[in-house]
Amino acid sequence: MIASFLIFYITITLFAMTLLGVYGVATRSNLIKKIIMLNVMGDAINMLFILIGYRLVYPVFPPIYEKHLTVEEFLSRAVDPVPQALVLTAVVIGMAMNILLATYAIQFYRLHGTIDARDMAEIMRGERE
Amino acid sequence: MKRDVYVAVSFLLAFLVISYAVTVKDVLGIAQNPLRPLGEFYLSHAFAHEGPTSHSPEVVTAIVWNYRGFDTLFETFVFFLAIMGALSVLRLTKEQEKEVRELEAREPHRQMDLIVRATVKLVVIMIVSISASIALHGHLTPGGGFQGGSAMAVASLLLFAAFSKFTLERKGLTLRHTVSAYALGLALILTTVIVPVFLYGGKVLEINLLPEEIGLFNLDVGEYTAVTFGFLTVFLVLGVSEWIFKNVLRREVQ
Repeated sequence: MIASFLIFYITITLFAMTLLGVYGVATRSNLIKKIIMLNVMGDAINMLFILIGYRLVYPVFPPIYEKHLTVEEFLSRAVDPVPQALVLTAVVIGMAMNILLATYAIQFYRLHGTIDARDMAEIMRGERE
Repeated sequence: MKRDVYVAVSFLLAFLVISYAVTVKDVLGIAQNPLRPLGEFYLSHAFAHEGPTSHSPEVVTAIVWNYRGFDTLFETFVFFLAIMGALSVLRLTKEQEKEVRELEAREPHRQMDLIVRATVKLVVIMIVSISASIALHGHLTPGGGFQGGSAMAVASLLLFAAFSKFTLERKGLTLRHTVSAYALGLALILTTVIVPVFLYGGKVLEINLLPEEIGLFNLDVGEYTAVTFGFLTVFLVLGVSEWIFKNVLRREVQ
């Protein structure tokens, strides 16, 4: 009972964090803040994935097979490995995305001296500098 | 300002709807304690004792490299593309590179205090050994090449902060070397992927034909090298002092 309440609580918190990330990406104009909020959003979604794979059994096993277990026992105790594998992929892609975004932001700052999204738009339209 | 309020209120409404759906309607199926059929398949088929399987008792590794191998391979390519994109955005012409090198030679030899340097040396040794153990046991325990490589990236950042980029470059950690090591890691991955075709007449990425756990081990080591030196490459390019870059680049723009 308490465990399931905790899981619901964490799920809802993670949804709130996701929405907060979307809000930050949409409303902040500083590029670094946008990237940080994008990371908050991505991490919350990854946690949510892991949580969906979790099972409310006691004791719960990680998906690593050990010799003394029978297959049925293992199946009844182990958590779902598919969300973990998907999150592993997502983490790598998120890291690659971060590298590229940070590079673009730094290069734009070096060339034009600003990373404010509104200023960037003006510069790109050729209205300034 | 008014627009911000509208956005906040609509997000709050979305949050309320989502929390109602999750708690009362249980749309995610968390409360019923299920094991989905796909997860059950992977859990029951990924062991080494059922004929030609993945040679890995760790089901996540088995999924990542054996059942969804192409996915992981393309993810390595995405990482490669990101690093190449970063390098090509930050690239300089030959003359600019020469100028940057001259300016860097004039920079004073800055590094941190003796205490910081000694501590960083100790901590870096620990981080390197832990990341190597994460990567090399990747086929038996949770972890793997990418996780080990990310841990190594932290060590290189520490070195950058404590010793500065110039000291590292004088010790021989130049861009040319890191890019070569990165290419070596990728080459190891590609070789391991293609070898089953020539030796055993299998398909690309059929690494379970290789004896024992060699395939998974090679892939983990290759990924570890690739990620470590990929990050190092980007850090080396980004580590050029800001004023040097401004000096060299802004002049070109104006």
